[in-house]
Amino acid sequence: MAERLTLSRQLDEHAARRWLGRLGATALEPAWVALWAAPLGMKGKPPGAWLLGARDMQRALLLTGAELPVQAERPDAGVQLTGATAPTLEATQRLWLWERMATPRLWRIQALDTPPTPVWLPCWLGYRAGQKHQLTVISGLSGEVLSMIKPLVLAGLESAHRQVQAGDEKTLPTG
Amino acid sequence: MEGFTPVDMTVLIVYIGLIAWIGSRFGKDQHSPEDYFLGGRKIPGWAIGLSVMATQASAITFIGAPGWGFEGGLERLVTFINVPLAMIVLIMVFVPVFHRAGIYSIYELLERRFGPATRTLSALLFLIARGLATGVVLYAPALVLSVVTGWSVNLTIIIMAVLAISYTVLGGMSAVIWTDVIQMFVLWLGALMSIFLLVTSLPGGWSDVFTFGAQSGMFNAIDLSLDPSVTYSLWAGLLGGFFLHVAYFGTDQSQIQRVLSSPSVLDAQRSLLIGGYLLIPQMLLFLFIGVILATYYQQHGLTPPEDLNELLPRYVVNAFPSGMAGLVIAGVFAAAMSSLDSALNSLSAVTVRDFYSRYIKPDASDAHYLKASRLATIFWGFYATLFAFFAGNLGPVIEAVNQIGSWFYGALLGTFLLAIFSHRSNARGAVAGLFTGMLAVWSVSSLLDVSWLYNNTIGVMVSVSVGYLVSLTSAAPRPEQLSDVIIEETAPDMQAILAARSANAPEIGREARLTRRRCIGLFVWFGVMLGLLALLQGWANG
Repeated sequence: MAERLTLSRQLDEHAARRWLGRLGATALEPAWVALWAAPLGMKGKPPGAWLLGARDMQRALLLTGAELPVQAERPDAGVQLTGATAPTLEATQRLWLWERMATPRLWRIQALDTPPTPVWLPCWLGYRAGQKHQLTVISGLSGEVLSMIKPLVLAGLESAHRQVQAGDEKTLPTG
Repeated sequence: MEGFTPVDMTVLIVYIGLIAWIGSRFGKDQHSPEDYFLGGRKIPGWAIGLSVMATQASAITFIGAPGWGFEGGLERLVTFINVPLAMIVLIMVFVPVFHRAGIYSIYELLERRFGPATRTLSALLFLIARGLATGVVLYAPALVLSVVTGWSVNLTIIIMAVLAISYTVLGGMSAVIWTDVIQMFVLWLGALMSIFLLVTSLPGGWSDVFTFGAQSGMFNAIDLSLDPSVTYSLWAGLLGGFFLHVAYFGTDQSQIQRVLSSPSVLDAQRSLLIGGYLLIPQMLLFLFIGVILATYYQQHGLTPPEDLNELLPRYVVNAFPSGMAGLVIAGVFAAAMSSLDSALNSLSAVTVRDFYSRYIKPDASDAHYLKASRLATIFWGFYATLFAFFAGNLGPVIEAVNQIGSWFYGALLGTFLLAIFSHRSNARGAVAGLFTGMLAVWSVSSLLDVSWLYNNTIGVMVSVSVGYLVSLTSAAPRPEQLSDVIIEETAPDMQAILAARSANAPEIGREARLTRRRCIGLFVWFGVMLGLLALLQGWANG
């Protein structure tokens, strides 16, 4: 299996505070979400954009640029949210077909016949405490709100919480 | 009275050619996929918002609203006074739900919430209603062509239909947002120039307009009558028009399509904000032209054309300096093409996504679906053409579009409201609500003397109440059916996790929330507009 590439975080904490503050969040933390990037381009030409998704996502995220903005280092600070499964090539191509139907000007761009690459997508999680605690997920690349990956993030947080609990139980003194 | 001169014809051809060249240069022949995507991202939000407005209404506003103003002054502005309020609901409720659901067609949400029957029925209603309304949109430029050339309007409808269908099938030109923006400014320039030329041709200038308008009650925009048969009372505008616009902008795929394709919720909200702020002033501008034209016709002892939609195009062709008339008429054409392209595209997308790939060929190739979508475009083009032949009998085109929608969209909006707000509602209730909502609208509008503006309100009320009550007769929906409309983090376990993480995360200083600030801005704008109308009316009535 290909190594998971790390997309470099382009929104620093200061900028993320500003974005999330405008959206009503009162606390924030960095996170990394495991996704898969499928190349998009014209037939026989190098990719010009990427579709980021996972098997359970209804709609994928679009990342423009010929190259993925990767960094050599592994994800640093922040919770790592895994748990999503890789989409198949066919599923990605079908997903892209509907994107093209919805936006006819994209018709000439196709999902290339290359298996999706696993990536870490940097995100910022914003928390808001009110009657209920609410979560806002924004992209660590652009600051856009990523409502579509929220279910993945919530599932990832739940799984991270369970792992911490399991770890705590293991380290409890016995006997 | 110069008429449409050869210079105008040259300007018309050059303008259309130029727009086509810009479209093909920047829209189709971009060198890499990156150009396609980044081209859109470098464009400022205000331009995207104006482009949405241009594809939505500019051509039919240009043609229909002056007729409205000529006939009834500013009284019909109440139809649009509610737009900022409708946008608040869309920004706060619909956009977040639609974006979170990650759907291509809004009717998919209804399938996940209520099952396939509700999706199919809703999508079918959209196809019927939008197909009919597209007929009216097709009629608008055909009428202009008829005024310019003197040909019969039936012939120009066919010409326009062939042009619009070929244009859409070949890929359209809407790729270039800047061309939409240019068209918008050309139309506004045309409107401002009409005002200037009209007013300067009156001996007393503005004073003649205000005297005539005040004497004929044309500035009485606010009618406080509680009688539901008064078509344009303030209450009909506020209550009826509000539901009309929430339904129109929120449940019609051709309107919400751009919101669904916006890269983020904030971008989607911004495009709605522009409409929320600009639709009333734009409508006021064109209604005012109608008032000035009424003054002009009265002073010159002219007889208005039988079809009031012809008023402004006829004036532009006859009174504008040579060349300018060609430019404005070209702007109307280009804007109409942009609206037609977007309507036909959404009709064909829903046909393929919600019907063809759903029931007929679920796993066909991309090329097959492309062919199917082109055939669907041709089919809907013919359907719209058939209806366009009757559109001239429906009165001002802008009202015709809204009236057609009001037969269907109230019940459709009720179904969406049930889906989002009532977690007890189920498929049986949704279908019952949809049918009875439409039935109620048709019964009330044919049996009772009630303003058509209330149609959507009736549709919403009946479909929500009947839908909810009928839902109680069968099982509640399963939790997974509610996943799109329930905020995922509300489960107690998840709340505990979020509370723990939030307590350990760095704090952010409190700032005014952007969405709330945007909505407050729209509400203030609504108050300002209503206040200005009241002041004008107060002045006119001494």
